[in-house]
Amino acid sequence: MTQKDQKQYNVSTYGTASHIPFLVEKARDGSRGAFEDLVDLFQEDLFRMVYYRTRSRMDAEDIAQDVFIQAFKNLSKLRETNRFRGWLFSIALNRIHDFHRKKKFWSLSGTSDSDNKTDQPDSEIHVNPEALDNLVKKDFWKRIGSFLDKLPRMEKEVFILRFMDHLSIKEISLVLKKHESTVKTHLYRALEKFRACREIIQLLEEEKGEFT
Amino acid sequence: MSSHKAFHLSEDQILRALVDESDLSESMREHLSTCPSCRARRERLEEDLGCLGRMAERFAPSPEKRISLPEKYPASTARWFWNWRTAFGTVVMATLVIVIVWSSVLFRTIPETGTIISIEEPWATDGLMAEVSVLSENVLPPVYLDLTGDSDTGFDEEFIEFVVPTVENISSHYDSKIKGGLLCYENYRV
Repeated sequence: MTQKDQKQYNVSTYGTASHIPFLVEKARDGSRGAFEDLVDLFQEDLFRMVYYRTRSRMDAEDIAQDVFIQAFKNLSKLRETNRFRGWLFSIALNRIHDFHRKKKFWSLSGTSDSDNKTDQPDSEIHVNPEALDNLVKKDFWKRIGSFLDKLPRMEKEVFILRFMDHLSIKEISLVLKKHESTVKTHLYRALEKFRACREIIQLLEEEKGEFT
Repeated sequence: MSSHKAFHLSEDQILRALVDESDLSESMREHLSTCPSCRARRERLEEDLGCLGRMAERFAPSPEKRISLPEKYPASTARWFWNWRTAFGTVVMATLVIVIVWSSVLFRTIPETGTIISIEEPWATDGLMAEVSVLSENVLPPVYLDLTGDSDTGFDEEFIEFVVPTVENISSHYDSKIKGGLLCYENYRV
């Protein structure tokens, strides 16, 4: 693949969402440039998606890297090009589950160094000049974390995918391989708990008050 | 307005509308589209969730490392390799299955001795059984049967009659015995 070919499918030239199937098709046919454009399009979304579930930048970067390599190697297996985003997210979810499983195992055996990794944002507070901003961030993730960790696994996953990763119900059902009605039921239950969580509502009111 | 006040959507129905408005009944959807109060409640909740998403995005760090892909693009070669590997694996597995099935039919392991004997055709088994039945009748080989005189197993009618006489012969024999006995007795007396 020449440099010219690589640049041919530039995201800025071709726009975004409507050209994703086109890029996927080209990448599947062997265009490295097209795949690099897909990486450009989805890297931040995917990184955030992983970060919401690991709350560690280093782990999120490592997992995102793994996910893109997996996607790169297995792109020929993706039949429907318009489902690339969901497919990428389902690979990421599997990797995240593996990560949590390994983390649990190592924490049980008492030889984990990943605990230090997940505490990375805390340690950054002391060296970062914008310490107040970091404290706000830390408080946000602490409150969100305590709310999300109370939810059953499926409710938590569906809630994050819908309102933090901004996936549609249909996309969520594809990522989780669940029927749409099942996804809706989990989402409804999670929303009931969200509405009842005064701590989160208060946090959001404060945020909205700051910006009005 | 009075019709709006007559009924409003419950909190659960607002949540259902947020999850998927098409799940509401026709009348509820109509009410939601016209009632400012219910619409405002739904929008407030939507705004809260939107705010949550925006905050999460803002408070999440940005990736510092650029994603690095492998040097070679694997699409076409990987597909070929995968197909080649699959085909090779299939051939190897099929060969192994055939060999295992074939050997299990041909050979059987005797657990006691661990030796392997061949299972022959049915006609060969019949021959073996015939030999066994001959041996059960005559344990000694034919050479020794000649020496012992057992080789001549053809019994003629005279011999059989001698061993197992018929009823007539028994009675005549018995009579002759009696008669002979009487004669002897009489001779003795004389």
